[in-house]
Amino acid sequence: MSDDVLLRATDVVKSFASRRRVKGIRSLNTAVNGVSLEVKRGETLGIVGESGCGKSTLARCLVQLLPVTSGHVEFNGVELTTLSRRQLRPHRREMQLVFQDPYASLNPRRTVGDIVADPMRINKIGSDAEINARVRELFQTVGLDPTALRRYPHEFSGGQRQRIGIARSLSLNPSLVVADEPVSALDVSVQAQVLNLMTDLQDEFKLTYLFIAHDLGVVRHVSDRVGVMYLGEIVELGEAEALYETPLHPYTEALLSVVPELNDTDAPRRERIIISGDVPDPADRPTGCSFHPRCPVATDLCTTEKPDFVELRPGRFVACHHPRNLEAVAPIT
Amino acid sequence: MSPEETPTDAVLSVRDLSVSFATRQGVVRAVDGLSFDVGTKEVLGIVGESGSGKSVAMYSMLGLVRDANVSISGSVRFEGREILGLSDTEMQSVRGGEVGMIFQDPMTALTPVYTVGWQIVEQLRAHNDMTKKAAYVRATELLAEVGIPDPKSRVNHYPHEFSGGMRQRVVIAMALSCNPKLLIADEPTTALDVTTQAQILDLMGRLQAIHGSSIVIITHDMGVIAEIAHRVVVMYAGRPAEIGPELDVVRSARHPYTWGLLGAVPRADVKTRRLVTIPGNAVSPLEVPTGCAFAPRCQYRMDICAERPPLRGARDHLDACWLSDEQRLEIRSTVTVRGES
Repeated sequence: MSDDVLLRATDVVKSFASRRRVKGIRSLNTAVNGVSLEVKRGETLGIVGESGCGKSTLARCLVQLLPVTSGHVEFNGVELTTLSRRQLRPHRREMQLVFQDPYASLNPRRTVGDIVADPMRINKIGSDAEINARVRELFQTVGLDPTALRRYPHEFSGGQRQRIGIARSLSLNPSLVVADEPVSALDVSVQAQVLNLMTDLQDEFKLTYLFIAHDLGVVRHVSDRVGVMYLGEIVELGEAEALYETPLHPYTEALLSVVPELNDTDAPRRERIIISGDVPDPADRPTGCSFHPRCPVATDLCTTEKPDFVELRPGRFVACHHPRNLEAVAPIT
Repeated sequence: MSPEETPTDAVLSVRDLSVSFATRQGVVRAVDGLSFDVGTKEVLGIVGESGSGKSVAMYSMLGLVRDANVSISGSVRFEGREILGLSDTEMQSVRGGEVGMIFQDPMTALTPVYTVGWQIVEQLRAHNDMTKKAAYVRATELLAEVGIPDPKSRVNHYPHEFSGGMRQRVVIAMALSCNPKLLIADEPTTALDVTTQAQILDLMGRLQAIHGSSIVIITHDMGVIAEIAHRVVVMYAGRPAEIGPELDVVRSARHPYTWGLLGAVPRADVKTRRLVTIPGNAVSPLEVPTGCAFAPRCQYRMDICAERPPLRGARDHLDACWLSDEQRLEIRSTVTVRGES
């Protein structure tokens, strides 16, 4: 593995046994269907997709909170999927999570100081005095008053709680922080504070982020590269600015075209592509390309043959038989 | 806008609406002096963060706030008729009849134990003299109109058999069933994915063009406002901070809170550098300052901000801020108000 790749996923599949029967057969609900990606050191890889696309399941598989059904996850050059719980432990320190719901992700019966100190206590890092000093330092780092250590989570606002969650995730000096919808429960003004904080922390501590969200604006803002998920698969992945400016996959194109815009300039609005219908049931996946039933440019080929996920343009991977806007992006030479 | 002025074409005219709750900790002024008009066929957006009072304002004017400790004052005229203080029975004929409502969560807006057809029929028959059979036919037509495939069979399905987007279509069908003059939509797309949101906003726009209803849309999302509203009310701590035509407010916002709100949005259409943040948290409803409610978080605050600023401005673009036009020009020329690069 080249040195600049921190995490590499190869063909990760995660299926859950479904209670439902599709066509008489007890089906498998394949939440993640063959995802391959690399997270480079120091970058933010954003994963964006609508609800049910498998982005959270993917995150959980990557950090081994869920066992993968098949596929490989390498972290710092070590294959994680075959390790025992005990063997995993030293690697877990290196990858920490920030969760969506700042209410559910903090134990209401512990003080916020304890919540931030717990990872260090569990990993037996430092003496009590050292841990205490570190907690105070972390509180300052994330913009909280260190004198509030003895308070309980309910005494804090949503934004402050998310800062506590971030402080906890940083307590073990991880190299990778996986943030699953870290700002979607917050009001826009508070969301901006937390996003700016996360950017500052990344610079200060050389963190690598895997940032999962459904908000296309948030993902563009924080990401260096972005992967777009649909029905358990990454359909397009590339450098954030290029992908947002010239989407190649018809799903990305449609998704970006319908984000409400502020029309605060005279620049013409992207032509809206409203795709009809709903996302199919992952237990009853369409044949061929998963997006074909809703795709405005699908052909017969798309109904029968699943497109490969290939590098169509430098650094831009797309799974589509009929990519869009190809002429607008310089080809691989 | 003085209280005496009531444009003749206003479908809804709200003057000095205040809603307060007596709590053990003190009086919570959830809405404090809100005035606006909704014209015929106009889409008015009310935007604000959680706790800004945008939903309470709407619910209280429709008699949906049934708290023993609430006190509501002001005037709400619907088609010239005062509706604040109507009896329950009188209000029931307004709600669901001439005023349709669309709620945020389409699952809780529908009862899970009856078919969607039954629920639409119930509403149709409550407001119209219709046979059950005719009402079912109409319910099927309505489902077709809001784009539900196979309406003849879907009319007999239960809410849980629909996806979120389809459920919201059912709620819209119900809201439209009695040809309302006014539609009140409280965060109608917040629970939906962006592609589904686009479908619903598109549907609301098309239906509005056909039926000519006026719409009040309550949302926290400036993008949704820009997409659908003609005019916008920006609320902060129960008070209107700024009111004006949508384009004016988005492109030449006057109130520092609106600047913050617009600059804090990470954009999907343009590259944003550092986001503009509003320091601190929303003010506690128990501790709203007597002066400008936004002053404690405002970086341009002056001594005079200890007094409550009136809502004033040129023509139809009003704001409640003590800054002079010169000061605003200067601020806007020296700082990035929007999150542009």
